[in-house]
Amino acid sequence: MSISVNGHSQVPPGFRFHPTEEELLHYYLRKKLSFHTVDLDVIPDVDLNKLEPWDIQEKCKIGTTPQNDWYFFSHKDKKYPTGTRTNRATAAGFWKATGRDKVIYTNCHRIGMRKTLVFYKGRAPHGQKSDWIMHEYRLDEISTTQSSNIKASSSSVIGDGGQEEGWVVCRIFKKKNHHKTLDSPVSTTITESPSSLLLNSCNDGALEQIFHYMGQTCKDIEDGDGDGDGGGGGRLLSPIDTSSGGSYLDGRFSKLPNLESPNSTSTHNCHQPINNHVGPTDPILIPGYQLESSSAAAAASAPHNWAAFDRLVASQLNGQIEVSNMIYYSDQLPTPPTLRGTTSFSSKSSSSSYTAAAGQDYNNVDTELWSFAKLSSSLSSSSDPLCHVSNTPI
Amino acid sequence: MAAADHSHNFNLPPGFRFHPTDEELVVHFLHRKAALLPCHPDVIPDLDLYPYDPWELEGKALGEGNRWYFYSRKIDARVTDNGYWNPLGRDDPVLSTATSQVVGMKKYFLFHAAAADPIKTNWIMHEYRLPDAASSSSSSSSSSSSTRSSKRRGRPKRQDYSKWVLCRVYERDEEKEEEEDGAELSCLDEVFLSLEDLDEISLPTRIQ
Repeated sequence: MSISVNGHSQVPPGFRFHPTEEELLHYYLRKKLSFHTVDLDVIPDVDLNKLEPWDIQEKCKIGTTPQNDWYFFSHKDKKYPTGTRTNRATAAGFWKATGRDKVIYTNCHRIGMRKTLVFYKGRAPHGQKSDWIMHEYRLDEISTTQSSNIKASSSSVIGDGGQEEGWVVCRIFKKKNHHKTLDSPVSTTITESPSSLLLNSCNDGALEQIFHYMGQTCKDIEDGDGDGDGGGGGRLLSPIDTSSGGSYLDGRFSKLPNLESPNSTSTHNCHQPINNHVGPTDPILIPGYQLESSSAAAAASAPHNWAAFDRLVASQLNGQIEVSNMIYYSDQLPTPPTLRGTTSFSSKSSSSSYTAAAGQDYNNVDTELWSFAKLSSSLSSSSDPLCHVSNTPI
Repeated sequence: MAAADHSHNFNLPPGFRFHPTDEELVVHFLHRKAALLPCHPDVIPDLDLYPYDPWELEGKALGEGNRWYFYSRKIDARVTDNGYWNPLGRDDPVLSTATSQVVGMKKYFLFHAAAADPIKTNWIMHEYRLPDAASSSSSSSSSSSSTRSSKRRGRPKRQDYSKWVLCRVYERDEEKEEEEDGAELSCLDEVFLSLEDLDEISLPTRIQ
């Protein structure tokens, strides 16, 4: 039975195109790059600049069965002739990269990467986020050049510009609203708390990724997002800075990935002033972890006592409760309680529920945290680069 | 896996899998089976009333990923060697997307492992059956529930096994539930999106 994208011929009832990421990359994209055409009419080519997401779903129909996601090949073009960034703007909006790229493996061999993008309506920086999500899969250079069928021209298409040019295979879908996914009485109990999912995943190393993400400077911002060129540097730090009191926690996040390289400038900048202000209040901030007074003093007096800091982190990562604390803080700190109702963050059920899950005995900690916040903000001086930035009205 | 085999049977390119909607299961498979019409594709086996434990379905039912599909008969108590399927909550109607008419009913079961104090498991079954309206079309269906049950009780202990059902069985995996269709965002993505939300809202510069 042959497949046609035009819907003339039929996919057997009940069957859907649900390729694994490995199939997408290892089978389809490799064939595309090596100019094989067999089976490729399942996945059409789409000019991402010309089609809006809602148009793509028309073009990428497979058969006549209803679909939740749509697949297409796209050829990435540079935004500027001299740059490496990709132009992903359409007439109605733009695709903006989010998060960090995920590595795709096949049989434990890395073959490519997945980038997640969100469609914003309008023009940066005033775009309005939509529910349309795109996963963009690209092959690693190694795995493409290893494939013997690739002609010289295609390897030049891949280029050396950080894979910002060339063919990619994409999947778009509409982000599910968690409140609408209750398709059975059973799943109500499952889906009502995406927070538990979040916390579970945090035990699997996601937390480290979050830290890394929060700690890195502007890596992802320069990574081909559609929104213009400015102001990226402070965006990750600003929500946390703004609370003024968060500088200690913020500093922790920033420092984490830099443990091996304590000399990096960003680490040094925020590290010094924070320790001066905050050292004595350490035990308040980390419930369940009793910092010995001697080591607290050591930490305060020796800013580069990484071993002590390491222990601190280890104790935090020891259990789910502790992990949830950190999420809790990173969630709570940026936004004063009175504001939370107005933020889109708290409109998600996840926010409230994992706050509840983590909350329990931290209500009092919370208040201490806020009083500490005042203390910290009154103490913070212009010598603290982070606080300096945060005082600028947004 | 079995999934790949099935798609190869139809010369489907890689990536095609059996992911039927409720409506497809009912209209394309259950209705045709009940009407003794040939099912196309004839991929779902008929396990009749064999009381397989859910973990025994591999190789017997149509397996796709961690889901298994098979035909069976309507039965009041589905008891296996090692447990039983306990009905959950209410039944859901399966609607036709074209006409919004009820084309079937969907019932949910949870597998309990037999023990002195039966143990709930993560095994879920969706049982699809033809609409009840067909059976009760003779009289007003709304008022007939009590009379029907008394009628059934009045009958000798003979069950009507002629009614086909279509079952989907899977083991709930709480961690992967959200990503089951592969189209959902990972938890990490959600976190990142939330972070960007924070970026977009205007925060006060300091606490009052």
